[in-house]
Amino acid sequence: MKALQTTLSTGAAGFALFLALLTPPALASASFDDDDKKKDADEEEEEEEDKDRWYAITGGDVYTGTGAVLRGATVLSKNGKIEEVGFDLFLPEETEVLDATGYRVYPGLVAVQGTSRISRGLFAAEQFEPADPSLAHDHTHSDDNTDPLHPDDDWESAAKSAFATDDDYDHGDASADTQGAAEREERPDFEHGFDPFSSYLVMALSTGITTVDQSGVAAKLKRGEIDGVAMKEKYLATYAWTSSSRKDVRAKFERASEYLREMEVYEQKKKSNKELKEPSKKGVDTSVVDVLEGRKLAKFNSNDRDDLLTIARFAQQYGFRPVIQGCREGWTVAEELGRAGAYAIVTPRTRRPKDERLVRAGGTSIENAAVLHKHGVQVAIIPANTGIDLGGITGRDLLHFPVEAGFAIRGGMPAAAALAGITIIPARILGVDHRVGSLESGKDMDVIVTDGDVLHYQTFVQWAVVDGKLVYDKQDELLFHHIRPRPEPPAPEPEPEAPAEDHDESDEEEGHHDDEEGSGDDEEHEEDDDDGDEEEEEEDEGDGEGDGRAAA
Amino acid sequence: MVARLALTAAALFATCPPTPASEPGFALRCAKILTCDEDDTIVNRGMILLRGDKIEYIGKPVEVPAGYRELDLGAVWASPGMVELHAHVVGPGFDINDMVYPVNADLSTRPSITPSNSLMRMGTAAGVTTMFLIPGSGTSMGGFGVLFKPKIDAGYEECVLRDPGGMKAAQNYNPQRGAGDVGAGWSGLSWLMEEANNRAAAAFAQGRDDFGLRNLIRVHAGELPVLIHCASAEGVANTVRMWKVRYGTKCVVSHGSWDGYKAAGFAAKHGVPVNHGPRTMDYSRFFRSGRVVGGAAEYTAAGVPLFSLNTDSPVVPQEELFLQGSMSARLGADAYQMLRALTTHPAQSILVGDRVGSLEVGKDADIVLSSGDPLDPRSRVEVVFIDGEIQYSRQDDGQWF
Amino acid sequence: MITTTILLGALSVAVPQDKTELPPVYALRVGVAETVSGGTVENAVLLVENGKITVLGEDLPVERGIPTIDKPDWVVMPGLVNCYSRIGLSGRGSSSFDPHVMASDEIYPRSSSFMGMLEAGVTTVALYPAGSGIPGQSVALRPHGSSLDDMLLRDSAYLKVVLRSNVKSKKMLMDGFGKADEHGEKVEKAREKWEKDLEKAKKKKKSKKDDDDDDKKEDDKDKVPEVFTPPDADPKVQPFLDLRTGELTALIDISKAADYLHLLDALGDEEITFSVHCELRDDIDLYEITERFGEAGLRVVLEPEVTFQPWTRRDRNLPAEFVAAGAKLALVPTFDNVSSFGNWRVETGHLVKAGLDRQTALRAMTLEPAEVLGLADRVGSLEAGKDANLILLDGDPLEPSSKVQMVILEGKNVYEYEAPYSGGKQ
Repeated sequence: MKALQTTLSTGAAGFALFLALLTPPALASASFDDDDKKKDADEEEEEEEDKDRWYAITGGDVYTGTGAVLRGATVLSKNGKIEEVGFDLFLPEETEVLDATGYRVYPGLVAVQGTSRISRGLFAAEQFEPADPSLAHDHTHSDDNTDPLHPDDDWESAAKSAFATDDDYDHGDASADTQGAAEREERPDFEHGFDPFSSYLVMALSTGITTVDQSGVAAKLKRGEIDGVAMKEKYLATYAWTSSSRKDVRAKFERASEYLREMEVYEQKKKSNKELKEPSKKGVDTSVVDVLEGRKLAKFNSNDRDDLLTIARFAQQYGFRPVIQGCREGWTVAEELGRAGAYAIVTPRTRRPKDERLVRAGGTSIENAAVLHKHGVQVAIIPANTGIDLGGITGRDLLHFPVEAGFAIRGGMPAAAALAGITIIPARILGVDHRVGSLESGKDMDVIVTDGDVLHYQTFVQWAVVDGKLVYDKQDELLFHHIRPRPEPPAPEPEPEAPAEDHDESDEEEGHHDDEEGSGDDEEHEEDDDDGDEEEEEEDEGDGEGDGRAAA
Repeated sequence: MVARLALTAAALFATCPPTPASEPGFALRCAKILTCDEDDTIVNRGMILLRGDKIEYIGKPVEVPAGYRELDLGAVWASPGMVELHAHVVGPGFDINDMVYPVNADLSTRPSITPSNSLMRMGTAAGVTTMFLIPGSGTSMGGFGVLFKPKIDAGYEECVLRDPGGMKAAQNYNPQRGAGDVGAGWSGLSWLMEEANNRAAAAFAQGRDDFGLRNLIRVHAGELPVLIHCASAEGVANTVRMWKVRYGTKCVVSHGSWDGYKAAGFAAKHGVPVNHGPRTMDYSRFFRSGRVVGGAAEYTAAGVPLFSLNTDSPVVPQEELFLQGSMSARLGADAYQMLRALTTHPAQSILVGDRVGSLEVGKDADIVLSSGDPLDPRSRVEVVFIDGEIQYSRQDDGQWF
Repeated sequence: MITTTILLGALSVAVPQDKTELPPVYALRVGVAETVSGGTVENAVLLVENGKITVLGEDLPVERGIPTIDKPDWVVMPGLVNCYSRIGLSGRGSSSFDPHVMASDEIYPRSSSFMGMLEAGVTTVALYPAGSGIPGQSVALRPHGSSLDDMLLRDSAYLKVVLRSNVKSKKMLMDGFGKADEHGEKVEKAREKWEKDLEKAKKKKKSKKDDDDDDKKEDDKDKVPEVFTPPDADPKVQPFLDLRTGELTALIDISKAADYLHLLDALGDEEITFSVHCELRDDIDLYEITERFGEAGLRVVLEPEVTFQPWTRRDRNLPAEFVAAGAKLALVPTFDNVSSFGNWRVETGHLVKAGLDRQTALRAMTLEPAEVLGLADRVGSLEAGKDANLILLDGDPLEPSSKVQMVILEGKNVYEYEAPYSGGKQ
């Protein structure tokens, strides 16, 4: 509901966009069964393969990511899509079941940035992901195809020397080109480089990440297969908003909206006047047209208050919702950004002192994410280091993704909003919220099962499921299996309490332990001050309690 | 456990009846008090009384004596101010390495320290109330550091806990970079340090002065501790061998990163404290364990007597010292022990355990009030006391971190 | 006529300059024959006639008068087949698309490497063209002879393809087949035209018959051929046409497990015969695809190396894992140099110690690589009818202490052991 309110306030264009975002899941769920039947009828040969694949996660406390917490509920999927979330579901006989009794079930996490090694493998040259987004000039990474093991491999020139020149290779048929390849279903280039066995991919899954941006592609972290990994390509169009480039960006938007106006007139009049010429596309930037028509989101890497204000005004003028990465001084202009329906990609812990020469408020604030959220900005959270840092320093990289969301809560953000900041909101920014980011019927079965609150610093992902297939089991990988090993499932009755909640009985104030997740949507209530005093697990008693928590 | 806690609380109550204050005092109402004392006392819904710069009472709530300012911030947790043994946040310029000579046994960071500088202040606001401000590891003996209480807007003299606080030596890796001559390898480094140590040890044994080694002689006398930068298993073992087994100093292994934990048993056997960080995780293709290993879990399991954590600030920002504890607890260490690794253990390692590091009657009133588990990034620091004075209050100062 | 005793006498004083001359027909009687195709035969007798094995069996009587090498302590096995080498070649390749390039154009027959190869017992070798795209076709040789013609066993032994997980590498392969499709269309068009022309010509002829034979000359000039000859394919396309017909096979080099998935993706519905080569190194993740190889009955070409599970020191015997999963295994020496060829058998022995089946290991150095080269009907095992390419050792081929006593190539003695010079009298 909150999203709807925010959107309404941004005007008609924003509302249209919102609808656009909403429709795909509805369509997906509606047409799902039909698709399936058709398939069954069409392909008799591959009957075996076409058999429905059922997967269920049962008994866990399901945090749907839409505000609801269903204790002991079941998430059931069919052929990789969530069929139903609820209680007492009928499970077809062949359903593969993951018993999550005593654990928590969340949507897979979504990272709006991540090292290319996740999809390119251990030996891939790591693409530079700036620690401070403001250092990034542009998000359009050059796609590095060199193979560090075979540095001599120059695929670039290879491609040229192959068939690119028709001079030394004459077929007499000009249209031939790459026909052979073209006849087959076009696979996104990204998938051609995907390494579904990458150890970094496993590390990302161990953190709970099931969707990650890879150089402009929303990639689904499947293991062992390359089909359907690229969920969306180039949904973000990045514009440099500097004192020198601003003018050009404005001009582009002006030209594009002029063109759209002309098109509208043309569409109306062409029925009566068949002679009418289509408006000229000269000087029209198609990416801007896509932004204005809601097919893409415009992204800006900006931090300074003045930049943020001008972006907000600019976005309102042209009726689109900007994505602002960095947004360090966003807390000083949160109201304006909220009114512009902005998305923000922030690192709550970023630290940059205020410019002492300025009288106004400035610099970073740990409260940035909270303040932005309070004013209706949709906040996605990302750690300062979007690589996976194996050098020994912990808690600052993608391997500790949820920790950064913890710092947003430290700054006063409601826990539900912080969770949204690593699930549904990044999914919206990547244009895949109709498929991932929350647990709802029709969406992809991308689910993680944790041994406690996903935002607690000691919580581990025990299982990760992508497209209804188990892709990560903590006890099956070397990485963390030795840390608080998961006990064998209890033979008779499972323990009634969630693992994170069994602590010192003398702490009455913890009764509402999970409430903030459930009630996160109504942040009008001033519950911020109360958020802090939940989660007092480990310190309660003396030795051994750290282990007791996960062992339960 | 609960019974024992109650007993301890009762004992405290009996021995320390509040008395009217002549100096200004504070009465702190807390949902939970993590004392980190020897008995691991935890008081639920308790009260702390401060008077002057000392803690006067810890226990169940009592009537607030006259003249005491009562602080009731709701459900706050009290824990000891954190002690950072490896801090370089002396000032804005990181003036911490004097690179002319490889051995600078008698230099001090004192002149480099800019009290209340911006990096230090963030640490204070995050609950770090004692910092060992030490020279860098550019040379094998960088000189002496100052034990410092990072008060806000206070001068140097008000902040000093001990000067010299202890020596900083560097056993391997970093000092090799600048050496260029003898000392570019581990053997040369060791030789240089032993040469200085032999002189100081001889001077101490013969009771004579040695100009230029006066403080090092105090290290050999056991009056001052020495913190030794070293990493990897061989580095840790070399350090223990030289500084403890051979010279018998009160030494602390600092860093002990990468596979340093493989020498943890050796350090434990000789009772050498380890101050681990900023790298607290080991997962490399070089050491090839295939497991993500938490250094803290390994050191504590090996029985290192006083295990503590550091940030090597600003390598990890000073305000994230607590996170070193959280992440170590994540990677297999016991969470409560990690709180001790941020408070009592470092204080005792650097020989100031009688004054700071735990909440006990008579100790310095260095207290952190936070909104929950002090290791949880989600908990906010509400108030920080140093020497009985409020240095930071979220309510009054706004949230710094 | 040479008697056994004379032969033995000759052996004992053998110096490399004058190796034991073997007659056109002779017998071999040894303690053990590792036949590869028919298991281990004890007290084996082989009859070699004009370079071929004609008879092989246990304890067979040898006809009087046939000279016999009688070595009850020796072991005989087929000459080794190295299907993946560039030894002795110096050309440098690029990553370009050159499927028409032939490695045979690059051969230098007098390279000293060939002699070293024979000493190591390698009697068949395939050399491939350099480069990391699709660099061309390999040539299978006997490493003995003074000209390419002497050495040549089979040209176009396989097409070498390097396949990596990136769009350009994959497109190179896909485009190759794309061009083959185009050529097919071109042929089809040409055929249609020819058919039409033929039709026309027939009609014309008919009408001509009625007419006078005035334009006979012109007629000859425009004469439509009776048989359709398709237009020649571009040399770069021909290899892909040959892959489809099975005349040419491919050896496809990958660098990690993911490359194999991308290879399958690039091949799509193409049905070609290929083996997969992968250079083994620590942290390689091929265990991810062993099952898929097994299901497909594919052949993998590997070095005899035990690797590490990524990020650990845990050993993985990937060659054995491939075999266990049902894949075929061919081995190649760890490094492409003569001394590594010499260690090949022993390193393979290490794999056996680490769990690889012994017979599979022997086969992986002989018959399987021969299959890769399409030479399995000639070399790679001890069978009647095959080339007499033999290694005679004084012990188990997989043991380091065993040494090669004699190497026979197509019946001829090409290497004989010489004791190291130890000073003093000769």
